[in-house]
Amino acid sequence: MRIEAQGITVDLPPQWEGAIFQRPAVEPGPAVTAPAATASRAAAASRGADTDVQAEQFHPVTHLATFPLPRDRGDFGSGAVERMSPDDVFVAVLEYGPECAGTALFQATSLPRFTHANFGPNQLQRVIRGQAGSQAWCTVEGRAFGIYAVLGSANRAAALVPRVNSVLAAVTIRPR
Amino acid sequence: MTALVAVETVVLALVVVLLTGLLRSHATILRRLHELGAGVDADGIGSQANRPRIPGPARGRPASGPAHDLGGLDRSDGAVALRVAGAAHDTLLVFLSSGCSTCQVWWEALSDPDLALPTSTRLVVVTRDKAEELPSLLAEVLPPRVHLVQSTQAWLDYGVPGSPYAVLVDGPAGRVQGEGTAATFAQVLSLLARSADDAVAIDAELLAAGIRPGDPSLHLPPDLTGVASGAGAGQSSEASSSAAGRGA
Repeated sequence: MRIEAQGITVDLPPQWEGAIFQRPAVEPGPAVTAPAATASRAAAASRGADTDVQAEQFHPVTHLATFPLPRDRGDFGSGAVERMSPDDVFVAVLEYGPECAGTALFQATSLPRFTHANFGPNQLQRVIRGQAGSQAWCTVEGRAFGIYAVLGSANRAAALVPRVNSVLAAVTIRPR
Repeated sequence: MTALVAVETVVLALVVVLLTGLLRSHATILRRLHELGAGVDADGIGSQANRPRIPGPARGRPASGPAHDLGGLDRSDGAVALRVAGAAHDTLLVFLSSGCSTCQVWWEALSDPDLALPTSTRLVVVTRDKAEELPSLLAEVLPPRVHLVQSTQAWLDYGVPGSPYAVLVDGPAGRVQGEGTAATFAQVLSLLARSADDAVAIDAELLAAGIRPGDPSLHLPPDLTGVASGAGAGQSSEASSSAAGRGA
């Protein structure tokens, strides 16, 4: 099955599901209080969005998972990774602002291929016992992306890391 | 004399034609009444045929068709693909339309935060593509915490005749477990709960007979199981998927 939006295409391998979305811009003010939205604001802030006075501008987010994605989830998978079994994998491909493209952190020019050594519990956005995470950054077609991957079990990295790489190989990014 | 006989023959022929027509009309009326559930069941009260249930699929369609994954747009017009066939969980697909007056009570029921679904069943509301819906109306009626997939293709895949319509998919078996419509969504939930109870009872019977999950006899094609056809085949399929998919 294929999903396509925001110049991003993913040909999902069997047993995967996914979503590509962009949260609507949020005007400044105290109205937004939902946990998922709050997490999204924090994620947006960490991705360079101005959260002080200007309207928050969000960027495209791609979520890919081998388990049922809940409807409400944060950009980095909060609300979803808690539901992973040890055999599951979660991948988030998060676009950053155009000012990030080509900078030192984003100097890689293709989506990453992970190895077992890249994963560890200390790389999780939120530490969940048994899980392991990893992050990488790149600039593809002039667009800056951060890739965040979570393994349901660090002990099963040998089987799960190839699954992460297989779904990343199925991602195609077009220029804006 | 000859003329009299000829007249009587013609009159007799007319009477026969009229009588045949009346009998056929009567048979048609009885058949339609039976289809509407007004017939008298020879098995008596409490038989399986008399139990309330979601109306089955339209004629000519298989009793347990294959499941299809969902792909379309979500509520914010992002792309979404949800796994249905082969998933570890069951999925309740609720096909609704923004402008359908009959759907209103379903939309309201889906807004209930305490909606009681069977465990490990994912609820997904499926509308037609955005171009075929009324987006502003959909935004008004769409409950905040349910999955939405806008996909006319899903309506075609599942052969949905109209809205509201519900399809329950057995994820592990990758088959449609039940489908139909009801006046209220509460009736659908009630039937789902009963279906789950039936599945547990079927599993118990299979285990008592020494048939455990994964037993090769559960995976034989219907024509090799000794079950002739029709409802029996459907029950066999249900029992098979139940025991194989969930175990005991």
